[in-house]
Amino acid sequence: MRLGDLMRVSIRQLLRHRRRYWGVILAIAIGTAGFITIITMGRDLKKNFNHDLELLGKATLIRVYFDRRPSFEHQWFYSSSVEALRKLPGVRDASLTVHHPWVVGSWEGQDFNCSMLGVDESFWKVNGLSPGKGQFFTAQDMKDRKRVVILGSELARSIFGRKDVKGSKISIQQELYTVTAVLNGAGLGDYTHFAFVPLTTAEDRIQGVSPANRIYLRCRTWEDVEKVAPLIPGAILAVQPVQGLKVEVLWDQLQRVKAIAWWVELFIYSSIVATLILGGVGIWTVMMAAVRSRTREIGLKKAMGAEDQAIMAQFLAEAVCLSVAASLLGSALGWVSVEVTSLMIHSHPGQGLFLMCVILGLLVAVGLGVAAGIYPSLQASRMEVVSAIRYE
Amino acid sequence: MSKEFVAARNDRPLIQVTRLSKHYSNGHGVIPVLRGVNLEVRPGEMLAVMGPSGSGKSTLLFILGLLLPASSGNYQFMGQNMLDLSRAAQAEFRRRRVGFVFQNCDLFENSTVYENLEFPLVYAKVERQERPARILAALERVNLAHRIHHPANYLSGGERQRVAIARALVNQPLVILADEPTGHLDRANGHMVMEHFEQIVATGDTALIVVTHDAEVASRCTRVFSLEDGILNEN
Repeated sequence: MRLGDLMRVSIRQLLRHRRRYWGVILAIAIGTAGFITIITMGRDLKKNFNHDLELLGKATLIRVYFDRRPSFEHQWFYSSSVEALRKLPGVRDASLTVHHPWVVGSWEGQDFNCSMLGVDESFWKVNGLSPGKGQFFTAQDMKDRKRVVILGSELARSIFGRKDVKGSKISIQQELYTVTAVLNGAGLGDYTHFAFVPLTTAEDRIQGVSPANRIYLRCRTWEDVEKVAPLIPGAILAVQPVQGLKVEVLWDQLQRVKAIAWWVELFIYSSIVATLILGGVGIWTVMMAAVRSRTREIGLKKAMGAEDQAIMAQFLAEAVCLSVAASLLGSALGWVSVEVTSLMIHSHPGQGLFLMCVILGLLVAVGLGVAAGIYPSLQASRMEVVSAIRYE
Repeated sequence: MSKEFVAARNDRPLIQVTRLSKHYSNGHGVIPVLRGVNLEVRPGEMLAVMGPSGSGKSTLLFILGLLLPASSGNYQFMGQNMLDLSRAAQAEFRRRRVGFVFQNCDLFENSTVYENLEFPLVYAKVERQERPARILAALERVNLAHRIHHPANYLSGGERQRVAIARALVNQPLVILADEPTGHLDRANGHMVMEHFEQIVATGDTALIVVTHDAEVASRCTRVFSLEDGILNEN
């Protein structure tokens, strides 16, 4: 039997009995669509997922500071060190800060105490913080060493009794500062009780503050953290001499985030594999039923000279056509799913990756069709002619 | 004209069967079906094999068409031993030399008349452009050319059997093996089917072996055999 005839007859057979195949086609199509979506959008979804998780757990945040042993000299980080760290592969951004654990301020005659951080412009992005209705420090604020302050939400509430305090003025170490924003966001943590001023302002105006002695690094994904952490001392030492450098990674949180991600991925991939296996079992069942219901047809075809291989090839081709048709439908569904997911997470996955997934999906479908169709096809080809012709 | 046709017209027998036996074994012993059958068939002959149900008529037909193996004996088709052929060679023999017509007017459901007749050509690897002419020619021999694209499901019983005959003819076989071809047809349609068989055999190229219970069908054949207790006798 020629290949052209084989494909034509198989496709015709599928089209004419399409009602019995719909369920199987749909199962495989959903599996394929899931496969295409996960693979195509995987990196972007992971980044998104990563971002949400890191806000909660700070798992991709690395803190770099100096050991405060008395034997070490008083040290601070150069801005060039931060630039060097930003260039490390896997680092999204780095921020230079200085910490003052105890400052005294007042508002309308009421005193308050708080911790203060002097921060650069990157601090907010590194920590995934949102300014609420206000605004973060501008480059000009930094340059002019302006007396502006951003308050953590709980600190704002304890001072003013409310959060909507943008534009209010408070006194810190007896100098007036304008509140430009109140911090919101899930990743705020302890910062809800902090006051933030520009790094330059803190270094110039806040008494007792040393030069910048902390760097925060945000890695792109949690997989980058393990690669970036060992590179940090070398990168800093290449720029400035340091003693007692400490690199702090929240390994426990990182492990937990990785475990959550692993379980989520396992669940998704298991679902896809289960769907495809169900589709394969569906093909097997449908083809076995087809062989049974077409027993007389098989007998007749053998009587008119069809060889065993021709009968086997026909049923196998039908199984493959079935799974390929399902895969094509799945590719279309996958395309829609990728487009919708892209819109939802504001991402633009590469067309090449999508096409590669479609091709991979088709290959998997062919494999599935062959694997699920081989036994029913063998049954059909081994049928004895006379028993088949006399089958009722 | 092919070599086979030349040979067939040489008045040499198409089929030569000698001492052919067939028995089945079950758990309790051996059941003989055919015992030492001898038969010669020449091109242009029309043979009827009669006998009671279970006498082995269909078994003989299936052995002649290589659908069943014989237990012993000798079967030659145009001088070639048929009982030693491989499975592939048996299929080749059925494609090129034999046409089958069965009692139940077996057509492929959900297919047109054209598609039903195309299958033997597909298996014989006939070029696609040659097929319409051969299918039309076969249908013309049973006066059904006008039904060529008709769905097989919507044909009457008589028409279905005539399509089955056309399908048996489409690969230009040397022998047609028909198992109760009029068994499910009314008298008029039975007549029509036999007329078509007579016209086909009258060309002198093809032989027909028909298994039947119907004495009227047998009376239209050139030779009539009866099969009883596994022994074939010419009447």
